[in-house]
Amino acid sequence: MSNLPVNNDLGFYEIRMESVGGFGANLAGKILGEAGILGMGFNGSNFSSYGSEKKGSPVKAFVRFCDPDVEVRVNSPVIEPHMLVIFVESMVGAPGILQGVSEDTTVIINTSLSPDEARDMMKLQCGRLVTIDAMKIAVEEKTRVNTALLGAVAATSGFIDPGSIKDYIRKNLGKKYAFLIEPNLKTFDRGFSEFSEKKFADDGKYPSQTIERGDQKTGYLNQAMGGVISAPGNSINKDLTVSRSGWVPVLLREKCTHCGECDITCPDYCFIWEKGTDKKGKEVQLLDRIVYQHCKGCLRCVEICKFDALVERVEYETDPEIIKLGYSSEVPEDKAAAK
Amino acid sequence: MSSGTESSDSAVKTERPAQTTDFRSGNEMASLAASHINFHVMGYYPITPSTEVAEYLDEMWANGEHGVKMVPGDGEHGAAGICYGASTAGGRVFNATSANGLLYSLEQLPVQSGTRYPMVLNLVCRSVSGPLDIRGDHSDLISTLDMGWIVLCAKDPQATYDMTILAVKIGEAEGVRLPVIVADDGFFTSHQKRKISYFSDAKTVQDFVGEFEVINSSVDPTQPITIGPYMNDPDQINNKKQLSMAMKLSETVIPKVFAEYEKISGRAYKPLETYKMEDAETAVFILNSAADTCMDVVDKLRERGKKVGAIYPTVIRPFPADELRSVCKNVKALLVADRADSYGAHGGRMSHEVKAALKDDPDNRTLVISRIYGLGGKDFFSEDAETMYDLTFEAVEKGKVEVPYDYIGASPGDPDWKPAPGVPVLTKADQSPGILNVFKDEKTGKVEVKGVKQRDLTAMPHRITAGHGACPGCGIFPSIGTFLKGIEGFVVMLWHTGCGMVVTTGYPNTSFAITYIHNLFQNGAATMSGVVEMYKERQRRGEIAQDEEITFVMVTGDGGLDIGLGPALGAAFRNHNMIILEYDNQGYMNTGNQMSFTTPLGHATSTSNVGTVGRGKTFNHKDSAQLFSATHIPYVFTGSETNYKDLIRKAAKAQWYARNEGLVFGKLFSDCPLNWRHADGNGQEVIQAGIDCDFFPLYEVENGITTLNYDPSAKGKKVPVTDWLKLTGKTKHLLKPENKDLVDQFQTEVDRRFARIRAMSENPIL
Repeated sequence: MSNLPVNNDLGFYEIRMESVGGFGANLAGKILGEAGILGMGFNGSNFSSYGSEKKGSPVKAFVRFCDPDVEVRVNSPVIEPHMLVIFVESMVGAPGILQGVSEDTTVIINTSLSPDEARDMMKLQCGRLVTIDAMKIAVEEKTRVNTALLGAVAATSGFIDPGSIKDYIRKNLGKKYAFLIEPNLKTFDRGFSEFSEKKFADDGKYPSQTIERGDQKTGYLNQAMGGVISAPGNSINKDLTVSRSGWVPVLLREKCTHCGECDITCPDYCFIWEKGTDKKGKEVQLLDRIVYQHCKGCLRCVEICKFDALVERVEYETDPEIIKLGYSSEVPEDKAAAK
Repeated sequence: MSSGTESSDSAVKTERPAQTTDFRSGNEMASLAASHINFHVMGYYPITPSTEVAEYLDEMWANGEHGVKMVPGDGEHGAAGICYGASTAGGRVFNATSANGLLYSLEQLPVQSGTRYPMVLNLVCRSVSGPLDIRGDHSDLISTLDMGWIVLCAKDPQATYDMTILAVKIGEAEGVRLPVIVADDGFFTSHQKRKISYFSDAKTVQDFVGEFEVINSSVDPTQPITIGPYMNDPDQINNKKQLSMAMKLSETVIPKVFAEYEKISGRAYKPLETYKMEDAETAVFILNSAADTCMDVVDKLRERGKKVGAIYPTVIRPFPADELRSVCKNVKALLVADRADSYGAHGGRMSHEVKAALKDDPDNRTLVISRIYGLGGKDFFSEDAETMYDLTFEAVEKGKVEVPYDYIGASPGDPDWKPAPGVPVLTKADQSPGILNVFKDEKTGKVEVKGVKQRDLTAMPHRITAGHGACPGCGIFPSIGTFLKGIEGFVVMLWHTGCGMVVTTGYPNTSFAITYIHNLFQNGAATMSGVVEMYKERQRRGEIAQDEEITFVMVTGDGGLDIGLGPALGAAFRNHNMIILEYDNQGYMNTGNQMSFTTPLGHATSTSNVGTVGRGKTFNHKDSAQLFSATHIPYVFTGSETNYKDLIRKAAKAQWYARNEGLVFGKLFSDCPLNWRHADGNGQEVIQAGIDCDFFPLYEVENGITTLNYDPSAKGKKVPVTDWLKLTGKTKHLLKPENKDLVDQFQTEVDRRFARIRAMSENPIL
């Protein structure tokens, strides 16, 4: 008899974490792997899929557990997870995030939504959906979402010992980050209890989001010779929203003097300028808006702006209209007072 | 290194030396083995995915856990040279590399083997460029097969540890004395954690490998020897015959060493490993991690009654030909799967070696199928392995191999697919807003720039577009973007490998609205020289209009200017009409923050760790602007986005000089919030502090005459270096009292270098 609640034909309980560099998925996978394998005596493996070391880029972490007598011989990524953990809510639309989800999958997502709302947001075909506001917990505890999500993982897995995970949170933070141990253990405990869940059958409401293998659009019949790209600047179509970690700059047009310094400092070329005329009728460059599709929320522009025309805001408290338009028309307090 | 937890000693009953069970990756195990062996010297240069091996070793060194002297090369070629020199000087030597790093050092491999100095190279196998690919395949490994090195293969992290130890003993064996490669799979093995065991006491390993026997020492003046004579015919062939004999001898040494190791470890290895081959009618021959997948599929197919097996060598030099002939006696069809192609050879390299081995058995009737799989790190799923076994069944059924050589896993693609359209092509007029006025003042002989107004310059279109994948707050794009505001007209850029390149051109997307070339970072400056000279020659021949003008800008990180310094200096000596721009963020950030030669003294990186012994980088930063100044090119400058008007002015001058006089070198002080460890939005504050403490002087050198453009003391803004060092996580340890001597040393060096620039600025003759 296996000590795992469910396993696949090779004997594995498989976990996939979908995240963005900087949220700690790699470390979460390591802690989980060590807790299960060194702490609880399973056999298994852990690895991440990532390219070069970038913050803000998608990353996947994988953990496999099997009984101690099972040999680990699989090196490929987890395609049909028993547990899927989504670190960043806004990733959900990206292709392949919900790859391999079935009615038996436990899907844990970092969101403030209820399971019913989250299902609709995700267009989730089926599965046991666990929602947890890990970002709120992390902000309150001054930690990262990873340990909150590990709490939910332990609580909903049915076999992972929370004590073992806590041991390996302590060991991984070690002496170097000893001051982070207590807040992370508290974050873990909150994750362990502050979640909601609901089971959704495959009721036909949403289709599967699994991509068939071999469905690749680019191939040897259509790749340009030598791999050249002949669509200049086509990265402009990309949406980098997932790179933000909770904050956005907001452009207060009323305060902007169009000095141009934000355009110097922005690494992501998000500022759009238009030709216009100044009060004297002279043709000048005018800052029109921020393209939030490309903004990674670094806030360099807020730092450089001498006129408080660019201000830091918490993204989820920001009027979606501002994100859509790229600026705010609100009249700043001092100007309002002057009127 | 990791949190590594000692759990159980498994050796009590068997009276073997104690071992510890842990959960570690291939790279962790390679570095752990190296620390247990306690090699004398490691010469290295970071390249993904082998980089971590040096990182973990440095971290352990910083905490006093081993005595391996870590020597960072100026590139893989240099690293191989360090290793060669160290091995002649009579000790144990270790290196780790991957892909193009290996190929860059390739010419050193036969030097090492031909003069018979053993060492161990951990090859973390990765796809060879180009286009650039950092994932795992064996296209680097196959280049090593004719270099006179013994090549061992490790299919999982446990084997990586074991083979590294075994490699020492095999390579140093009497009569063998050959260097040894231990090859494991990039990412699949190097970055995958598995449950493993290692010897609890490093002494066990040291007793097993024994004392190093010094032969032909370069540092024994009592016995003068000439190492590496000039040896043509008729002698060279005999040197090679000896090498071949040594390789042959290793065939008997290897099984003995494996057996000795089994006695202490309990882990048995054979040069040719087989899985369920006893009665197998068909099989797959495959290297390293993918063999695991095949074994899973063998089990599955045997449940369906298929008599199948798997073969995977742990030694491919010498190639285990006898063992293979014996295993294949009754095999009807064998698929040889290669994770690398030998283009034009009608089969992968291993398929040829297998065919050649079997041909020597006149009775062998095995049908051999060659398939190329998993190139560029494409994942290998059990379905792919099943496809391979299906091909063997088909061959048996038909009695012949209909398609002897093909690919598995390549995609034809959707013929209707088109890449996402890009931005409209930027015309010359678009890129020439005519805001700046650049002219040579005939009286002073200096080039002047008027009209630097950042507001007006927002009209300059972005030659690099939005949508690139750099980290939030990355300093590269403000640095290069601001520079480009000062360049009018057509621009062609070449970027070295590095963060800036990787995040802008992930296929099928590009952030370049203009023409862009990538080349590996030994060679960007040389490549751009070729572009420039072909352009000029085609203009001379009337193939391109005489009045057309392109500004050629080559961009490198400080890492690319370490490994690529030689070709960059060569381009400067030749004085081509082009601009070389270095964005200096003081480390190899693309591969995970290893130290570069521009990393300042005491700064912490992943290869200059801080610990009980380590205090960050041990030597001072490279001064690339002065290096280029010494080549006497027409224009050298330093700049930063924080002093953007100065930078844009210098860009316009750079264009003038590149057009009229020749090569320009510019060095930009560029932030990396991720690895400098500060808030994403703080880059300008950090950079400005680095300038205000005189660490990074802003100056220009025009035809040998230096002008200091910003003197913090004169502006009343001069701060001590500690005001800069306190702003970043990588330097916080320097503020501790125990590191005061290091900071004092750094302050002295900064002041000395700044005083020199000031003196040059005050004295035109300097």
